[in-house]
Amino acid sequence: MQPLANITPLKPAGAIEVRNVGQVFKTTTQDVVALENVSLDVKPGRFVVLVGPSGCGKSTLLMMMAGLRQQTSGTITISGAPIPEPDPNRVGVVFQEASLFPWLTAEENVEFPLALRGVTKSDRRARAQDALKLVGLDGFGKRHPHELSGGMKQRVSIARGLVQDPPVLLMDEPFAALDEQTRMTMGDELLRIWAATGKTVVFVTHSLTEAVYLADEVIVMSPRPGRIVDHLQVSLPRPRTYEMLSGDAFGSLRDRIWRHIRKSA
Amino acid sequence: MQSGFAVKATRVAIVVALFAIWEILSRTGIVNPRLLPSASDTLATLGDLLQRASVRKDLVVTASEVATAFALAVPVGALIGFLIAENRYFADVAKPLLFFAFSIPKSIFLPMFILVFGVGFSQKVGFGFFSTIFIVIMSTTTAVESVKVEHLTVARSYGATPVQTAFRVYLPSMLPVLLEALRISMIFNLTGVILAEMYASRDGIGHQIATWGENFQMKQLLAGVVMIAAIAIAFNELVRWVETRCSHWRT
Amino acid sequence: MSAATLRRLIVVALIALWEFLPRAGLIPELFLPSLSSTLAAGWNEAGEYGHALAVTLYEVAISMAFACGGGILLGAIVGSLPRPRILIMPMVSSLYAVPLVILYPVFTVWLGIGSESKIAFASIYGFLPTMLATAAGIQTIDPQLLLAARSMGATLSQRLVRVIIPAAIPTVLSGLRVGGALVIVGVVVSEMLISSAGIGYLISRYRTILDSPHVFAGVLLVLAMAIAFNAAIKWIERKAAIWQTGTRAGQDAAGEIAPTGLQPAT
Ligand SMILES: Nc1ncnc2c1ncn2[C@@H]1O[C@H](COP(=O)(O)OP(=O)(O)O)[C@@H](O)[C@H]1O
Ligand SMILES: [Mg+2]
Repeated sequence: MQPLANITPLKPAGAIEVRNVGQVFKTTTQDVVALENVSLDVKPGRFVVLVGPSGCGKSTLLMMMAGLRQQTSGTITISGAPIPEPDPNRVGVVFQEASLFPWLTAEENVEFPLALRGVTKSDRRARAQDALKLVGLDGFGKRHPHELSGGMKQRVSIARGLVQDPPVLLMDEPFAALDEQTRMTMGDELLRIWAATGKTVVFVTHSLTEAVYLADEVIVMSPRPGRIVDHLQVSLPRPRTYEMLSGDAFGSLRDRIWRHIRKSA
Repeated sequence: MQSGFAVKATRVAIVVALFAIWEILSRTGIVNPRLLPSASDTLATLGDLLQRASVRKDLVVTASEVATAFALAVPVGALIGFLIAENRYFADVAKPLLFFAFSIPKSIFLPMFILVFGVGFSQKVGFGFFSTIFIVIMSTTTAVESVKVEHLTVARSYGATPVQTAFRVYLPSMLPVLLEALRISMIFNLTGVILAEMYASRDGIGHQIATWGENFQMKQLLAGVVMIAAIAIAFNELVRWVETRCSHWRT
Repeated sequence: MSAATLRRLIVVALIALWEFLPRAGLIPELFLPSLSSTLAAGWNEAGEYGHALAVTLYEVAISMAFACGGGILLGAIVGSLPRPRILIMPMVSSLYAVPLVILYPVFTVWLGIGSESKIAFASIYGFLPTMLATAAGIQTIDPQLLLAARSMGATLSQRLVRVIIPAAIPTVLSGLRVGGALVIVGVVVSEMLISSAGIGYLISRYRTILDSPHVFAGVLLVLAMAIAFNAAIKWIERKAAIWQTGTRAGQDAAGEIAPTGLQPAT
């Protein structure tokens, strides 16, 4: 697998290609088909949101894009090359609950992936500072996770995902545990960071409003076995504003997603 | 369910294997059979012992001490535990003291029981009571605190009487915790009584075990160890079985 | 009056009662000698008690290395491997129901009445709960943390050193607390039962000649030992307070396992 990384990517950095991907979990009692024949193209710099009923395989799909799990059929490429194992230079991941290490400070958490690669202390510190500044946490680096609010913890997680400057950021329900107001603020913050960095983002959520508000494209999945049942383009202008939430265009997009979800319930 | 059976079968196999190793070590003389009589000899001795009137009498003595100590410690401990859990101020005062009392080794007070009660039934029951009561108090407080405030509020808002609340909210919420408490208290109780018997006593199975040890009667000694272990494990499993039966409402 | 003040008053009152009830003749000196006569008895035989303390501490130290070292190591292994865990843990906790003190006569037959039998017994006495506590705590390490580390490209050894070990520290500490307390109990109990040295031996010897002040001096010494050990563990726990507040593992290990049963039995 090693030489593959040296091949010049045919696709530009940040492109994601998912071709006929399936995932079957073998358990002692039965085989669970989590995903079936999923194909998907994400162009560099796009903000793509995945929605679908709980248990339809969104997390599984994200894990495969991150190289944390291998698909049982089909191919996935990130920036033109397969991803047989996690590669933080290509893909950063942000998880749902704060998956920060409680024994490290915010800045040490952000430095963690760099420390794994033996980056020097001063270099690490400088890059962590930049990442923390980017997510609006300047001056909070010395705090431990339990001294930070839920929103701040997720900002640290995002900084950690971005610290190695990967072209792709995968986010699995990152704001699910936050209250409504924090969630709205964090959505705006994420869009600001995204605009500033130009990353490709794949974002999983349960909230239809959040999906339409954030996305360039929304991908709707069916219940298990997970398939793609709709792929919507959200052509609302950017920057997105709070007023758009009550507009007709917003409402009809949300209704269209809701009809898919309701049908499958 | 198949895998559940496989797990049980493996556990039985492990126990059987341990007995087999014991048997082999002794039979082949790898370990001096005088120091480690074989498993089969030990089990045969156990059979003999159970026939003996004196051993049966010792078992009855121990059982009655355990039962008495338990019957005294549980209600008294539960009452104190309730009082502490129900009163905030009382809890603040008493809890650290109880934690402390709980954490110090009880066995060093054994001589005091002998000095006060002399050697006999009351000394052993007294020490059994003393080694059990703290865990009963602690578990009862935990059990009362495990009742969810929301459930009590719901019961009150539908006009439940105190008796109804006790039987329909407190009891079902606390039952699993109480069963667990019962199991652990019994462990403490049995250990306390046996230790008291081994330390200074004229009867009881703990006394027998100590005597066999002093006289180097390895067969009887090991048989006694196996017997007590079997009784303790059987009781433990019984309570655990009841626990799992009752646990369906404990999510 | 604040709860803490009342509590202090209660403690002071208990100590005062210990002095005055026996003095006033309300409790026979045989049952409970006054605090001052207990201290005097201990002071007069300071050399003897000091020697006994050294023997006991030596046995405690070695047993603790066996019990805590073995218990933490094995608990970590069993706790982190699902299959052995499902298989073995229920068996180990059944074993925990057995009053292990019945094993002590076996050890005296095998190893004699010197330090060896005490160390063997106390090691086993402290081992089981330490192993149970550690295994239970390792299980509570948040799988999200391991997944996150993996997503950042951590190798197996990096995950062990940078995630599993730091996350397990609170657990290890609570294992140490439980195991250590039991080791002290185990050593003293076995000295009380059959032996020729140590504080437990002194307590028993003075008990047979009905010399209560000397019995209670020994009891006080053991109490002091247990209190000192608890204080030492508390101090370490405070040093590691960040772990305590941060992890589920920390809270479970320190708050739940300990009071529900894995504590010194007798
Ligand atoms: N390791 C696994 N073994 C067996 N089944 C699994 C495993 N992981 C996930 N699944 C199943 O695959 C399906 C998809 O899971 P997931 O990707 O977590 O769904 P989502 O994130 O959309 O809620 C679920 O039905 C789940 O039960
Ligand atoms: Mg999910």
